[in-house]
Amino acid sequence: MESPKAQIVERPETGGAMIILLLALIIMLAIYTLTSKDLLHGVIAMSAVSLICALLFTILQAPDVAITEAAVGAGVSTVIFVWALRHSKRRDDEGE
Amino acid sequence: MIERALLFTLFLIGFYGIVGKKHIIKKIFGLNILNNAAVILFILEGSRIGTDAPIMDGQASAIVDPVPQALMLTAIVIGVCITALSLALAVHLYRVSGSFDIDTIRMRIQDEA
Amino acid sequence: MKENSKRSRYWSRFTTVIAIVAMAVVLLPIFLNDTSWPIEARDYLAHSGTEESGAINLVSAIYLGYRVFDTFGETIVLLVAVLGTMGMLSRVESLVDTSLEEEHTIGSVSGFSLTNEKRRSHALRTHLLEVVTGKIGPIVLLFGFYVMLYGHVSPGGGFQGGVIIASGIVFLALGNPQEGSSGISNPELLVRLESAAFLTLILVFFSGLLIGNGFFGNPLAHTQIPVGYIVILNAVIGMKVGTSLGFMCIAMMGGGS
Repeated sequence: MESPKAQIVERPETGGAMIILLLALIIMLAIYTLTSKDLLHGVIAMSAVSLICALLFTILQAPDVAITEAAVGAGVSTVIFVWALRHSKRRDDEGE
Repeated sequence: MIERALLFTLFLIGFYGIVGKKHIIKKIFGLNILNNAAVILFILEGSRIGTDAPIMDGQASAIVDPVPQALMLTAIVIGVCITALSLALAVHLYRVSGSFDIDTIRMRIQDEA
Repeated sequence: MKENSKRSRYWSRFTTVIAIVAMAVVLLPIFLNDTSWPIEARDYLAHSGTEESGAINLVSAIYLGYRVFDTFGETIVLLVAVLGTMGMLSRVESLVDTSLEEEHTIGSVSGFSLTNEKRRSHALRTHLLEVVTGKIGPIVLLFGFYVMLYGHVSPGGGFQGGVIIASGIVFLALGNPQEGSSGISNPELLVRLESAAFLTLILVFFSGLLIGNGFFGNPLAHTQIPVGYIVILNAVIGMKVGTSLGFMCIAMMGGGS
């Protein structure tokens, strides 16, 4: 092959700690989503998970995916969830 | 390595949301979390081989792999389509039977039939 | 009876634990994988992606050039999902009137409340929402058009711009409460735009046949601007996604037919 092969470059270390911190935050928000008694709080936590995912994608050098995740997760998906909760008049979970 | 362990935990949390919870909206939350975990896994693995975003403004740059990013765009849009359709079905089930709990729904539908 | 329900609850918890352990065993080889990610695709695209398609944004070149079949399938999945949700929506609306008790409504109710919804009369809350979203709406719409049309140079593209346009349409619909169907938030106008955009998409895909490049081929490949194909595709996909998602959101809020 005539073209030179690009090497495998390691990510700088400051990016690594940020990624671990954001993933831990996503896990805590996901656990809160599934165990909250009030479903509206769960929907807002899902929106926050999408927001932190978008930030994570920006750090991982994927700007197209970040724009899509932010627009879809915090926009359309939250509107659909709030519609579903509103048309059913249930705000509280009972048991599991 | 730690990132992969955290993503594994996120996968299992999403799966527990689908299987272990009895409220339909919580199952749909679990589906969404599972979708997010899969997308993060692909982008994370694809970003290990470079340092720049895949926008060619120069000539010589070690860019990140752009193929998983293009695939994950499709995956995110299909995920929101699945969420919309499943929420419409859940609201219809609520209207028909009056509850979101799957045991109650099953009992009421069996009583009607 | 108590024994029975207690036993069934223990059984359901036991099966949940077994299911999670089985899923963990299945997923473990993926996360313990040691082989390095292959770099041939990245090398090839970094060297000849820009010349072959004309776009600087390589992700746009991939999902509108090399893998345009996936984009076509995704457009069809979006169409089917919106159709299914709208179908379910009409049946849900028809069941609303027969299963709710009588509750009286407040006098100044905005156009997007349910017919029998009781709402606390906070006049300030309503005005703040309408004023802010009505003013921000056109700006978000403009930003959506920018992201859609500059997809080949900077991060963005058809889907991203389309979803932002849908958010802008929702803002405009929230902004004027009395007539929820005026201007661009008119549901019939959105439906016609969506059908026109899908028809244009199919025609653009067919236009590659006129040159001899195949079904998804680039009709402008031998002229001076081969990137015009990507710009046209971005614009049409953005219009389709934006109008269909905007129509679905407006119908969910109660202002559609």
